Amino acid sequence: MDTREYIESGILEAYVLGALSVEERREVDSNFAQYPELQKEVRDIEETMFRYCQSFAINIPEALHNKIEQALPGLGANAGAQETGSTSKSRTIPLNPDYRRPTIMWRNAAALALFICSLAVNYYFWDQGNHERQERIALSLEMNKMKADQQLQADLVSEYRSSKAMMADTGIQTIVMHTVLPGHPMAATLYWSKGNGEAYVAMDALPKPPKGMQYQLWVIQNGKPVSMGTLPDDMANTPLMQKVGMQVMAGEAFAISLEKRGGNPTPTTVYVVGKA
Amino acid sequence: MATTPLYNEEELVLLLKQQSREAFNYLYKQYGAVLFGVINKVVFDEHIAEDVLQDVFVKIWTNIGQYDPAKGRLYTWMINIARNASIDKLRSKGEIMKGKIQTGEAVVNNLERAMKTEQATDTIGLRKMVAALKPEYETIISMAYFKGYTLDEISKTLGLPLGTVKTRMRSGIKQLREVFNN
Repeated sequence: MDTREYIESGILEAYVLGALSVEERREVDSNFAQYPELQKEVRDIEETMFRYCQSFAINIPEALHNKIEQALPGLGANAGAQETGSTSKSRTIPLNPDYRRPTIMWRNAAALALFICSLAVNYYFWDQGNHERQERIALSLEMNKMKADQQLQADLVSEYRSSKAMMADTGIQTIVMHTVLPGHPMAATLYWSKGNGEAYVAMDALPKPPKGMQYQLWVIQNGKPVSMGTLPDDMANTPLMQKVGMQVMAGEAFAISLEKRGGNPTPTTVYVVGKA
Repeated sequence: MATTPLYNEEELVLLLKQQSREAFNYLYKQYGAVLFGVINKVVFDEHIAEDVLQDVFVKIWTNIGQYDPAKGRLYTWMINIARNASIDKLRSKGEIMKGKIQTGEAVVNNLERAMKTEQATDTIGLRKMVAALKPEYETIISMAYFKGYTLDEISKTLGLPLGTVKTRMRSGIKQLREVFNN
C-alpha cells in the first residue's frame, strides 16, 4: 500500500471524525498494525481536533458540580467517607493442609508469622509510597494550572498588543462605544478598516450577559440599525477581539445591545453606542 | 492551553481507577469545559446538554477501566464518549431532524459569510482557530464530528463527490493544524 496516498485521501480524517461505516473503520484499524505511520497520523489529527474543541469550551454552571458528583457511583453515594480511594483489599492467606502436620508445625508457624509481618511492613511502605505519589500528582496538577494561567495571561498581553497596533494603524478607525444607560459605566471598542470593510470588536467593559441573553452588534446605516450578528458571551469583559463576520462598507455609528439568545431583528436594550 | 504531560495522564487514569475524588475534580476542571462545549455543539437545548454532561461523567467514571492508552489519548476517549452520548441523545429525542435542519441553515449562513468576507484568515484572539477555518471545511467537519453524519450522508446532503468530502476533511484539519502550530 502507498501510505502517502492513503493518508492524502483523507480517510484517516474521516476515521477520526467518525464518518466511516463499521466496515470501513475495521479496515483502517487493521492497517494500523502493519503501517505505524498511519497511527501516528491519526494521533496528530486527534490532537488537532482536541485543540479545536478547546477553542469553544464552555464553562459548566457552578450548580452542576455537586449534582454530577452525587451521580457518581462509589463517590456520590458515600460522599466524604472516602477521601481518596484506597485499594487495600483484604487478603486471605491460604492454609495449606501441610501446615497441620505436627512435624513441621513450628517451622511453618514461624514462617507464617514472618510472612504476615512482611505483609504488614510491605503494606505500610506501599501505603506511604502511595501518599507520596498522590502528593506529587497534586503538585504537578497545581503546576499545570499555573502554566495554564500563565498561558492565559500571555494571550491577554498579545491581545492588548494587537489592539494597540490597530489603534496605531492609520487605515483603521478606532470607535469607542460608550454607555447609554446612566449609572452603568460600560464601553466597547470597534476597529474599522473602511478601505476593505473589515471590522473587529472587543467588549472591553461590558458585563457578562445574564443567562439566556446575548450581546448583538449593530451598525447604523441611514439612521437604521442593521444587525452584524451576536457576540460570544465569553468575550464580554475581556480585551479579546473578534473579527466581525460581515463586511461593513458604510455606517454612521455602531452599537451593542442586549438581546435574547440568538439575537433579534431590531435592537431591544442598547447598552453602548459610538459614532463613526 | 498547555496539554497535560503524558505521565500525568497515566497517573490520572490510575487514580481514577482507584476512585479518587481529587482525580475526578481535576478531570472535571481540566476537561469539563471542553466536554461541555462539545455537547453543546451537538444538542441545542442547554438543559439537555447539562443532562448529557452528567451522563458523560458517569460513563467516564464507571468505564475508566476500559480505557486503553494504546488506542489513543485520554482526551480523545472522553471526547468520543461525549460526542456519542450527545448524538445518541439527539437521535432519541427526535432532535436529529432539528439538528439536520439547523445544519442546513448553517450551510446557508456559511455560504453567505463566505461570499461576504474574503478569507477570514487573520482573525485575532483565542477564537482565531475557529474563525480561521474556511466555511466549506467547517461545515463538513461539524456535520461529521458533531452531528454524526457519515461520508455518504454528507456527500448526498451537500451534493459533493465522496472523494471531495474526504479531501476537504483533510484540508480543513490541515488548516487547523497550521493555525495551532503558529
